[in-house]
Amino acid sequence: MLDFLQTLSDGVLFGATYALIGIGFTLVFGVMHKINMAYAAASVGGAYAGLLVLKAVAVVPAWMVFLGAFLAGGMLGWLVYVTCFHFIPLSSPLAPLMSTVGMLLLIDEVIVHLTAGMPQNYPAMFDDVMLRFGEFTLRGDLLLVFGISVLAMIGLLALLYRSRLGLATRAVAQQPIAAQLCGIRVTRVNALTFVIAGLLGGLAGALIGASVGALSPLLTTPLTVKGLVVTVIGGLGSIPGAIVAGLLVGGFENLFQQFRGVTERDMYVMLLLFAFLVFRPGGLFPAKS
Amino acid sequence: MDFYFGLAQTVGIHTLLGLSAYIVLLTGQVSLAQAAFFAIGAYSAGMLTVLAGWHVVPALGVGSMLGAVTACAVGFPALRVKGLMLVVATLAFGEGVRLFFFNFDYQVAKGGIRVGPLGGEGFRQIRFFQEHGWTTGEVMLFIWVFVIAVMALLWWFDRSRYGAVLRSVGEDEVAAQSVGINLTAVKLSAMTVGGAIAGAGGGLYAHYTTHIEHANFNVLLATFAIAYPIVGGLRTVFGTLAAVIFVQAFLVEGLRFLGDWRNLLFGALIILAMNLRPHGLFGRHGA
Repeated sequence: MLDFLQTLSDGVLFGATYALIGIGFTLVFGVMHKINMAYAAASVGGAYAGLLVLKAVAVVPAWMVFLGAFLAGGMLGWLVYVTCFHFIPLSSPLAPLMSTVGMLLLIDEVIVHLTAGMPQNYPAMFDDVMLRFGEFTLRGDLLLVFGISVLAMIGLLALLYRSRLGLATRAVAQQPIAAQLCGIRVTRVNALTFVIAGLLGGLAGALIGASVGALSPLLTTPLTVKGLVVTVIGGLGSIPGAIVAGLLVGGFENLFQQFRGVTERDMYVMLLLFAFLVFRPGGLFPAKS
Repeated sequence: MDFYFGLAQTVGIHTLLGLSAYIVLLTGQVSLAQAAFFAIGAYSAGMLTVLAGWHVVPALGVGSMLGAVTACAVGFPALRVKGLMLVVATLAFGEGVRLFFFNFDYQVAKGGIRVGPLGGEGFRQIRFFQEHGWTTGEVMLFIWVFVIAVMALLWWFDRSRYGAVLRSVGEDEVAAQSVGINLTAVKLSAMTVGGAIAGAGGGLYAHYTTHIEHANFNVLLATFAIAYPIVGGLRTVFGTLAAVIFVQAFLVEGLRFLGDWRNLLFGALIILAMNLRPHGLFGRHGA
């Protein structure tokens, strides 16, 4: 029983990063009704950029690497918007799907090129702290990951529901034409959505690097798959859904990793997704239409 | 010369993979499960020739049929959802199949060595062509017989009533439904035909590489499957063939002299192509 609780809590804490990735997918889908396949790659790319740029300058503390990743993620988000969405007409829904796949491959290859394919050690904070409750422990670095993720989510929700930009974003998500008629610049809102999603993604990439201890370009594909799974389980376009689903998937996969082994783990995650598609195709929080 | 035969084999097999996604894309559905049907065809045809000692042609037939049956079975629940949901559902199915083969062991001793699929190690020694003394040129011709047959079939579909029905569903589902077209039946039939093509392509792939493993059938292969018809455009089957030649012959082989930089250029060129020709290289002009 203790094993079970320990595994579950570690998984849920790590699941916060899945939640962040899921939010990024869901945010872009909610506003533009498009999939950004490059999102997880851009997140890992942001985390790398934060690390490599700062490492080139000087030895810096972990929090500055996180901040660098956050900012670099935002810039990459904007870059993805310009190269993969801005110039492609809305009437061809397949084209951005393909261009973002191209971007995914490109980011992967740039990372491989810059690091010679070697995994890079990522700095962590509080990795020597261990909260003990008898036999039950909570890893300090995972708690920090969870804490930062929660703060980022609160920040995002505040931005969406308490600011003019958030109001504009929600207006474009609901009715792009009506929003445009009210004087909202739709392309600007779209670009800003990508920047915001990118900021969250860069942070998520850094947190994943910190809790795994290293970053590798091999992370991008599994993260893309997990992010999409989280998005669908949570309900497309639903931010609370993505948060709950991220934590759920994190806990679920850690349990199966513990009891069924790492090679079978993801098979059960896919089965969980299929169960949702069959019994609750709208996800945890279905969009009201 | 063998180099060009080898390249023609790769182009042929990838064309089959692309065409399996082409017919599904005609109905407006994006399926990332094609790599899974490809894997099912590859493993089943390989097991039939290696373990059961079948000839390659009936083995390919069974591989193709299993691909079709799986596609039909997956299509039923998966086609209830649309757009991104379908992409993710088929992606998850594809990953599930890959992970199944990652954990799949079925080996028998044959002539002193153990043959058959062995989990993460993969499935080695699918040597039907070598054991029967087929030359590279003959294997290439064998593959292209299938490619031409499938292209002719799909080309004929495009000209028949069935092709019009497929495209009408892809253009506007509500309009198609209002003239009495059964959407589920049409999408499911496209999915099944796609599964059959992918299964046959997978069987050919297994015999031509002689060694398959779960990692061959990953998300990347699934994205390539849909990339060919999208980059080539959905107007005719020749777009898919042209895209395969563009990617495999030009981007992969032709740019080999660039070394590491080739891979960088690869993604960038796909982005550029989609920005300049959002409906594909050979798609319709304008919006």
